Amino acid sequence: MKKGTKKLVTGLFTAGLAFGLVACSGNETSNSEENRSEKSDELSGEVTLWTASLAGEPFDTYFDNIEKKFEELHPDLDVIIEDIPQNEMEKKVLTSLTGDDVPDVVNLNPHYMSNIAAQGGLLDLTELLNEETKKSFVEGAYVAGFYDEKLYALPWYLTTTVSWYNGDHFEQAGITETPADFKGVYETAKAVTEATGKPSFYQVINDGNTIIEKMATLANGGPIVKDGKAVFANNKAILEYFTLTQKMYQEGLMPQENAEGSFSGGQELYMAGNVSFLESGVTFLGPIESGAPDIYAASKAGQPLSGADAPMNVAVMNFAVPSKSQNPDAAVALTEFVLNAENQLEFAKTAGTVLPSTLESLEDDYFQNPGDSQKALGMLEASKSLERSKVLLKATKNSALLRESAKNAFVRNLQGKVTPEEALKELEAEWNESFEKTDEKVTF
Amino acid sequence: MKSKILGKRISVYVLMVLITVITVGPFLVTLFMALKSPGEGIYEGILPQDPTMVNFIDSFEKANFGTYFLNTVIVTVMAVPLNLLFCSLAAYPLARMDFRGRGLALALIISTMMVPFQLYMAPLFQIAGELGLRNTHLGLVILQVSTAFGIFLMRQAYLRVPKELEESAYLDGANKFQVWYKIALPIVKPTIITLAIYTFTFTWGDYLWPLLNTTKSGMYTLSIGLAQLSQNFDGSNMKLISAASILTTIPTLLIFIWLQKYFVSGQTDGAVKG
Repeated sequence: MKKGTKKLVTGLFTAGLAFGLVACSGNETSNSEENRSEKSDELSGEVTLWTASLAGEPFDTYFDNIEKKFEELHPDLDVIIEDIPQNEMEKKVLTSLTGDDVPDVVNLNPHYMSNIAAQGGLLDLTELLNEETKKSFVEGAYVAGFYDEKLYALPWYLTTTVSWYNGDHFEQAGITETPADFKGVYETAKAVTEATGKPSFYQVINDGNTIIEKMATLANGGPIVKDGKAVFANNKAILEYFTLTQKMYQEGLMPQENAEGSFSGGQELYMAGNVSFLESGVTFLGPIESGAPDIYAASKAGQPLSGADAPMNVAVMNFAVPSKSQNPDAAVALTEFVLNAENQLEFAKTAGTVLPSTLESLEDDYFQNPGDSQKALGMLEASKSLERSKVLLKATKNSALLRESAKNAFVRNLQGKVTPEEALKELEAEWNESFEKTDEKVTF
Repeated sequence: MKSKILGKRISVYVLMVLITVITVGPFLVTLFMALKSPGEGIYEGILPQDPTMVNFIDSFEKANFGTYFLNTVIVTVMAVPLNLLFCSLAAYPLARMDFRGRGLALALIISTMMVPFQLYMAPLFQIAGELGLRNTHLGLVILQVSTAFGIFLMRQAYLRVPKELEESAYLDGANKFQVWYKIALPIVKPTIITLAIYTFTFTWGDYLWPLLNTTKSGMYTLSIGLAQLSQNFDGSNMKLISAASILTTIPTLLIFIWLQKYFVSGQTDGAVKG
């Protein structure tokens, strides 16, 4: 689909769903309130939970156990757990909210969560949870469930950034450790490219989110947006990042394909041995293990390619309760149950590549000694970087535009169409214009 | 002169081989990838060094292919005859009968083709729920039981049927239904086959509507299984996805090969007369 057509279709889709949601919202609130007022001591009826892209083993067995254990606690309750492909989760939840077949608990990422919450599709959990539950989570992950100062979701599993590198390529170049700042990234990339004759560094861009996160990391605790005004154009570290990535791209230290910048593109290049190091989550290695066993065996994990104390972003997967849930009490209880320390620890062990969001489960010995597989070593690095991780970006009304303009600015800079200074100035101006329109005085 | 003809022939064959490589190439690469053993990298040469069927077996199990395959077969078997029946019935009056509002009816039907599915999927979801079609095979095919495209295609085909044939049937005492069934329908057989193939391929690969209209994974179809595989939590296993894609494509391929002689002749029907 062409970009314009895609935008039109997406616009029409959102407009259609928004209309549907507004039309249904009158019943929505009263339904939920009515349902909550009928609260009884014992939970009964049906409660449906949707997970995102967790079909098949080992997850089927894990969720069968969850189902069984929760039903034992509440014999009159029937728990149904279904899996939905992650990319369609938002569409599926929004569509279901226009009818009566609404799930009771849904697994969302913060982008989907804030969009659905903005349209009145999620239950405000602020008053429905006790303080003990709220305090059981890692602070940085917990705040990701807020939208407009209300708590709409609780954190489940987390992914933090680590660096992955091809140990054989590094050895060829005589490099023993990953760089800790962007100057170091440039020097390492140069040495590895000289040794292998191929581009060596890949910057994941995705829809622009990783670039904004990187900018926030480089700002090292200072804001990149202050009271709804972008304030990064004169930041030396960010300017250096834009300057060096442009230089690396021009010198062939980064592959031409980096202008597309997708996560899967990076995986393919790494799998084919055509790049040697990058920053990503632990799950990055999944397809490498099956698609390129030799590269997998040579892969090593390190800390993110930033200063040792620089704040890192944590990617959170949440659980939220749709506002039209027919069984909100059971939904909240099931959410708390799935997210308790014991079940989260079990899930993290089952998945093998993610971290739990409860403080208690993170203290388990498993995260200090996860094993010696490549993924386990990645987990170890991830749990170390979790200490300085938090959600760096705030959910804003214009977040899609912020991501898109960051991507465009980064790519134009990469390709040398603008100077790094111009790219940052233009990006700052675009963001400021957007914040003026939405009138949001956010700081992040 | 002879060498000129030979040169021309060679260049035509080179072009044909090139086009074949471009069209069949990706399919073969997918097949070879699916045949690679777990220890072999997907970028280590095109041909599998130690061909194995293990990815086909794994993908069959992991993507719950048995159930999804059965669901897909059921919905396709329902959708194809229903769409053929309703489209060929609806198109005939639009091509052959004079009644007030015929042009408007045709314009309204065709205009529905211009509305993106994303715009009406929410109300459709509501209606399907109210009609009790959620999580049912009939609910999954509801979009295919009568399509605007099918009606238009069939109408164009009916316009090509010589009026004289129908008139002589009327003179022999046939009624309208008999003329449609015994005269017009056999003549437009290639178009019917074309529509059958279109409906088959569309229903077989339909993804968004089956996903939206099901809240039980036991009702999922193959395309949803494929999406689950490719959006797997632990990243996509390209060998498994390739094997699953091949398994999903085989029935469509077989149907196409079986019906292709009709398909080719019927494909140009819509363009002949407007």
